[in-house]
This record gives sequence, C-alpha cells and structure tokens, in this order.
Amino acid sequence: MERVGITDPVLTARDAGLVGCRTCARAWPMGTEVCPNCGSRVVSRSRRSLQRVWAWWLAGLICYVPANIYPMLETRTLVHTESSTIVGGAVELAAHGSYGIALIVLVASVVIPVGKFVSIAFLALSVRRISRASPQARHGTYEIVEYIGRWSMIDVFVVAILSSLVQLNAVAAIQPGPASLAFALSVIFTMLSAQAFDPRMIWDGIEIDKAGRE
Amino acid sequence: MTDQPPEIPVQSVRQSLFERASVVWLVPMAALLVALGVAWQSYSDRGPVIEISFQSAAGMSPGETVLRYRDVDVGLVEDVAFSDNLDRVLATVRLDKDIASFVDADAQFWIIRPEVTARGVTGLDTVLSGVYIEGAWDGEPDGLVVRHEALGDPPLAAGGQAGLRIMLNASPGAALSEGAPILYKGIEVGRIGKPGLSDDGVNAQANAIVFEPYGKIITTATRFWDTSGFTFSIGTGGAELDFTSLASLIGGGVAFETIVSGGRPALDGAAFGLFADEGRARASLFDTSEGTKLNLTVVFRENFSGLAVGAPVELEGVRIGEVSSIRGIVDEDRFGDDAVRLLATLALLPSRLSLDVAEFDDPLDYFEQRVDAGLRARLVTATILTGGLKVEMIEVPDAPIELMDLSAEPYPILPSAQSEISDMTATAEGVFQRINALPIEELLVSAIGFLDAAETLVGGEDVRQVPGDVRGLIGDVRGLVGSQELQTLPAEVSALVGELQLAAADMRIVTASLSEADLVARLQGAVDSATAAATGIEISVAGVPELLTSLTALSDRVASLPVETMIAQVNETLASAEMLFASKDTQALPGALATAMAEVEAAILELREGGAVRNLNQTLASAETAAAAIETAVAGLPSLAVRIETLVERAENTLSGVDQNSELSREARASLRDIRNAAKAFESLSRALERRPNSVIIGR
Repeated sequence: MERVGITDPVLTARDAGLVGCRTCARAWPMGTEVCPNCGSRVVSRSRRSLQRVWAWWLAGLICYVPANIYPMLETRTLVHTESSTIVGGAVELAAHGSYGIALIVLVASVVIPVGKFVSIAFLALSVRRISRASPQARHGTYEIVEYIGRWSMIDVFVVAILSSLVQLNAVAAIQPGPASLAFALSVIFTMLSAQAFDPRMIWDGIEIDKAGRE
Repeated sequence: MTDQPPEIPVQSVRQSLFERASVVWLVPMAALLVALGVAWQSYSDRGPVIEISFQSAAGMSPGETVLRYRDVDVGLVEDVAFSDNLDRVLATVRLDKDIASFVDADAQFWIIRPEVTARGVTGLDTVLSGVYIEGAWDGEPDGLVVRHEALGDPPLAAGGQAGLRIMLNASPGAALSEGAPILYKGIEVGRIGKPGLSDDGVNAQANAIVFEPYGKIITTATRFWDTSGFTFSIGTGGAELDFTSLASLIGGGVAFETIVSGGRPALDGAAFGLFADEGRARASLFDTSEGTKLNLTVVFRENFSGLAVGAPVELEGVRIGEVSSIRGIVDEDRFGDDAVRLLATLALLPSRLSLDVAEFDDPLDYFEQRVDAGLRARLVTATILTGGLKVEMIEVPDAPIELMDLSAEPYPILPSAQSEISDMTATAEGVFQRINALPIEELLVSAIGFLDAAETLVGGEDVRQVPGDVRGLIGDVRGLVGSQELQTLPAEVSALVGELQLAAADMRIVTASLSEADLVARLQGAVDSATAAATGIEISVAGVPELLTSLTALSDRVASLPVETMIAQVNETLASAEMLFASKDTQALPGALATAMAEVEAAILELREGGAVRNLNQTLASAETAAAAIETAVAGLPSLAVRIETLVERAENTLSGVDQNSELSREARASLRDIRNAAKAFESLSRALERRPNSVIIGR
C-alpha cells in the first residue's frame, strides 16, 4: 500500500460503482450500456484494449522498418538521380550545414516516432506489471503521446508538398519514395495504437497493485 | 471485492484464444506478410554476381557505376576491390537476373569514359553521369561465367555490330592509327583497331572491321591505302593540295577500292596490305595481287652497301619480287671463316612466272630445277648514279655445282654467284676520269678573262652615262608631251572643227533660205532683164559707129578743135563706164560695151593718125545727121536708166531678204550700186547730150 510516489489512495470510478463516458465525460451507474447523454457506448474498461494497442503498435513498428530502409525522396535532376532515406537525408542536410533543418527532420522523423513506440510499449506494459512510475506521470505520458502523434506526419507532408511542387520535367523532379508510404502508415498505426489504449487502465493498476499487496 | 478477481480468470479461461483475440491483430499480420513478401521477392529477383577485373578503376564507384548492354542498365557495381597482388582492380557487379545466362565466356567488358579525339567526342554523357561499364555478348545463353577480364579499350565492333574482320599490314610509309575510320567513297564503313607489330617484327599490323553490309565489298582484289596527312604537289596543272577529310588529316584514316573485278569475297581474318597512298595501292594491284609470296634467302659472299629493302629481284630481266629484308651474318661453322656475309630475304611472286599447277605443284620445285641448271643469284648495279643494287637471277654456265638448301630456316637458300658490281663501278670510274680530264681550269680562266673584259666595258664611264642620257631623253620627251601647247592642241582643233561646223550650218541655213525665197530664180530673172537691157543698149549703141563716122568727119572738119581732149574725155567716160560694167553680174553688158568702145577707140585712132581727114568734110556734112541720130539714140537712154533702176530696186528688194552680212548679199548690193551708178551716168550723159548735143563733138 505504501508505494513510492503514491501519496494518496485514488478512488476510481469503478471502485465507486460508476462508469464514465469517454465521449462526454459523464459518469453513470455501473451497468449503463449507452450513455443517455450523448448516445455513445459506455464500458467501464475497453475490452481487449491492450490487444489492440499491441496489434497497432506491432503494425506500426513493422511499417517503420521499411520507412527507414527505403528512400523517402527521389530527387532527379538533369545530371543524376539521388534517393535519400530519412536518416541519410538528415545527415546530408547536416553535412551541407543546415543543422537546424537536419535537427527538425531528425526529431520529427526519428525521435518522435521512436519515442512514441517506447512510450506506448511502456504504458501498455505498465498496466500489466507493477510500474515504478506514478499513475499521474504515466497519464501525462499518454497525453503527450496522443498529442504529439500527429506531428510525425510533418515528414510526409514535406514529401507531398515537395513532390507536387518540384516537377520541372527533365530538369528536376522530386518523387516520393516507397518509404514515405511506409512512414505514413507507421504514423497512422502508432496513432491508432495510442488511441486504442484505455488510459483508465493506468488507474486499475493501482488497484491490482493494491489487491496484490493486500 | 474479494470475489472480483476470481471472475476474471474464469472468463479468460472460458474464452478461446480466437475469441479473445482482437480483429486488429490482422493489421500487423498483413503488414508482416507484405514485408516478408517484398523481402522475398527482392531477394529472389537478385541476379548473380560476376567479377570483372580491370587495369584501373577509372572513376568506378560502388553502388553508382552501372553495367550497360546496348545502353540499357543490366547491372550495378557493388564493390570495387584489388586482386590479391594488387595488380588488377576487381569490380563486383550484380547482374540482372534475366540477362545473367547470356554473360558467358565470350562476354566482353570495357569502360566507357569521355574521349575527345580528332574524330569527335564520344561518351559525352559520362561526363555528368560518371563512367559506366559496357558489356557485349551474343544472344546465345551459354550459362553464366563469373570471372571476366575487361578489355583495355573498346572492341572494334562495339554495340554488337557485325562485320568482316580483316588484318591490315602496313607497308613502309603507311600509318595505322587506332580507331581510325575505314572509308569507302567517303563513307565510314569500318574501323581500325589497336595496331601492333607482326609476329616477325617486320611491319605493323592492326585488326580492322568492316561493318555489315559493307563487308561484301571487300574482295581479294581490294586494296587499302592510308589517307592520313595530305599531299602537296606542284606541277604543270598548278599547285595541288589533297587530303581526304579534316578528320583523317589529323586522326588518320584508311580508304579502299576494289580496283579490278574478279576477286573472291574476302573471308574473316583475311590479310591486306596497307599502302602509303592511292597511287601505290593501284599500282600494287599489278605487283602483288597474285597469290602468296615465296620467300627465299640468298647469302652473298660480298657485303656490299647499296642493297636496300625493296630493291627489285629480277629473273632473267623479269621482275619477280623484291628484297624484303637484309642483314649481315657471321657463321663460322657454315662458311668456314668469320667474314661478314650479306643475307638477303627475297619475297618472290611465283605467279609472275605463270607457274601454275600444271607443271610445278610448288614454285620451289621450279627454282630447284633451275638451280641445278646453274641458276644463281647475284648483285648487280641497278643505277650508276645512286649506286643502288638489285638482285639478279641468272644462269651462270660454269658455276660450281650447288644445290638449293631447302631445309634452311626460316627460308630456303638460293646459291649466289660473283656479283657484277666492280665492272659497273669501273665504267663509272672511267666516265668520271674523263670528266676529270676535261680542261675545266683553262675554260674557267678564259671565262674569267671574258668576264673581266665585260666588267671593264660595263664599268666604263661612257657606258655608265648611257642610262643617265636615256633618262634625260625620256624626261624631255615627257616634258614635250606634257607641255601646255600640246595639251591644248586637241582643244583648239576641236574648237576649229566646231567653228567649221557652225559655218557649214550657216551655209546650210543661207542655202535653205535662198532656195526658200526662190532667190535663184529671181536672180535669173534679174540677169535676164539685165541682158535684155544690155541688148537694148547694144541696139541703141549700134548706131554709134555711124555717129562716130560723123564725128570723125566732124573732127576732120574742125581740125583745130581739141580732139585729143575730147577723146580723152570720151575715153575717161568709157573707162568709167567700163569699170562700172566690169562687175560679174553684168558681164554681158560691159563686154559688148567694151567691144564697142574698142571700135570707137580704133576709129578715133584711125582718125588721129590721119587718112580720115580726107573724109572730114563728108563727115561734117553728115554730122548734123549724126547728131540727130545720136539724139534719137540717146532719147532711149533715160528709159534704159529707168529700167535699170527698176531692176536694181527689184534686186535690192530681193536681196534685203537675204542675210545682210553674207558675202553674196554684199557683192550683190555692190553690183546693184554699180548698176545704179551706171544708170545715173547714163542719165547724166543723156541729159548732157540733150542739153548740148554738140558736146559730144566739141568734147564739153
């Protein structure tokens, strides 16, 4: 019961015999199936939430591999064709002295997705296992992951804009590489994964923990 | 609270794995399957790897340099490494799977890099894209061969071109240059490969290819010649600069022509000579067109300078070949001494002798037989001037028995005989001696003397002045010609001519106006009337002799009277009348008057001289009658004067139409004046006579 970082015992809705609507945030008595307020389905805990989290997570990870192996952009100029991967492009930018842009690319395309994978995995694992992190911290993490997920698409947008703008026939042309599709899929899958996660389970862990202790 | 945990495990046990599993799991499954599928496909599509060794990497870079076949990418260089002992560069090339089986043992590889030559720029695209490896192989899939040796240079028939492969042997003066085009009537039909030395090291040769479909033009009668460089000749036709094309001027080139028909089509690998120019190529047709050469060696005991490669070889005066190489030889074992001998290799054309299959299967047999009969080779002088030698084969009757050495290497040896050079040299020496003996010095001395004399003459002061005089003369002539008078002469002449022309024009105008005014006719009329008037005068004067007779009588009668004075007066009167009538227009009148006066004069003379005095009385008696007759006669004078006046007036009127200044008018006017004066004189005479009729007689 006396866990590090947990100062106060938390009373969850389930403990209180209530179920909260995730759409309109209204709490109803346990057993309510449809939210009388907004008409959404109401469940105390999403069934198979973790399964869906892991499935999307895995799909996102699989897609993330080709997204880094294959070229993101194919730049064809009069002289020669150049295709660059995400990391390769960032390194090249850095080599040309554009450290700022290289940093942005690297953060948006590598740090954030990887961070998301790690965060989601951590959250999903922490539901099952006893975590040393406080539920508040884990919930904050979840919020950040959910919020920041969409920004990973910035890379895909850049590719889309570039390839639609730079089409000068023989002189120069930019084509999206196969990695751009894989990367977009990867981002989508991780966002779905984050969405599939039921943050209420973070608080269940305390009960399990508590139950386990007791 | 305590019964809650057991419920969950019961639920999980009851539900099967399938029921428990979320449908979302299908997504990673599909992703995995796709990824695996892609991975497997790209792996299975990977072609095999071959290794090509190069002399140098020359700009190859792993992952970028491609292998091309007919300009299509069929492979990619994956790695560039060294061979074990670092003497070659090994390029690992990943081939396309579908092309792999064609890359068999006869596949060729070479590097395409930009090249700028006199014949143009090639491989320009590689300047930007970097070098690439070009491969060539046939269309027969004979299985992949992994290790290949790259060619140093592009092969002749690049890009899978088919063609006739021939070998060109350069003759002296002809140059073979790598990559030079083979031209046929100005069209590039082939290409020369890298030249090299022939196996025996005697001449340069190169492989060449004549592309399809031009290969069939080449026959055994085809001759090749070098078109590189240019020829410049000056002859009777003027200077001539000749070169085939600018490219071949710099980069060389070979042209060919099938000069005579009847050659057999050339086979792959056929050898042709390359001549220095077209003339030699054409001439060669009649030299070397026939069959193979027969090589013989002759060892001459003497070692003469003057025998050169290319010197003719004659058999009894017929040229049958040439000396193809010369070298000295020292062979103590063979010749028994260590003297240097001359070893000449003769290239003979047996076909020149029409040695056909009929009699001798091998031309050597013929020579063998002839050697048995005493045929020997010897050196003779070809030309006295240069001292050049030729090889002559001649039968020496008393030659020592010698046989052909058929087993000699590399060529059979033909025995030689004593050379005939010294004789010729002696003759030449004799010629030179005689030239030497000529009195050239004396000739020169007298020539020098002559020249001295000539110099003295030329150097003399007089002769030297001649040019100056001539120059002065020329100057004078030039001054005369250039003088103002001569210069203006033409102008004056032309002015004169102009005036003449003007005068002629005036004349023409006068004539025209004359004829226009019918002047001539009117003048004629005037003259006619004048004549008529004169006739009237004559008639009237006809009575004068009688009058004179009376006068004579009268003067006889009055002897004291001053007859002389009277006569002088009459004379004077008559003279003036004569003068008046002397003008041209009234010629007829004065003539008649003059005659009349002459008679009067004669009569008076007669009278004066006497004789007439006798009749004076009688005359005086009739003087009265005479005076009366005169009166009658003179009575007609005023009318005559009036008529003349009228005539003159009429003429004047006529002439007034004529130009006042013209000569004719002046003259006519003067005549008219005279006539008028005459008329006045007549009038005064008639008046005087009227007043005092006796004045004629008394002279007052």
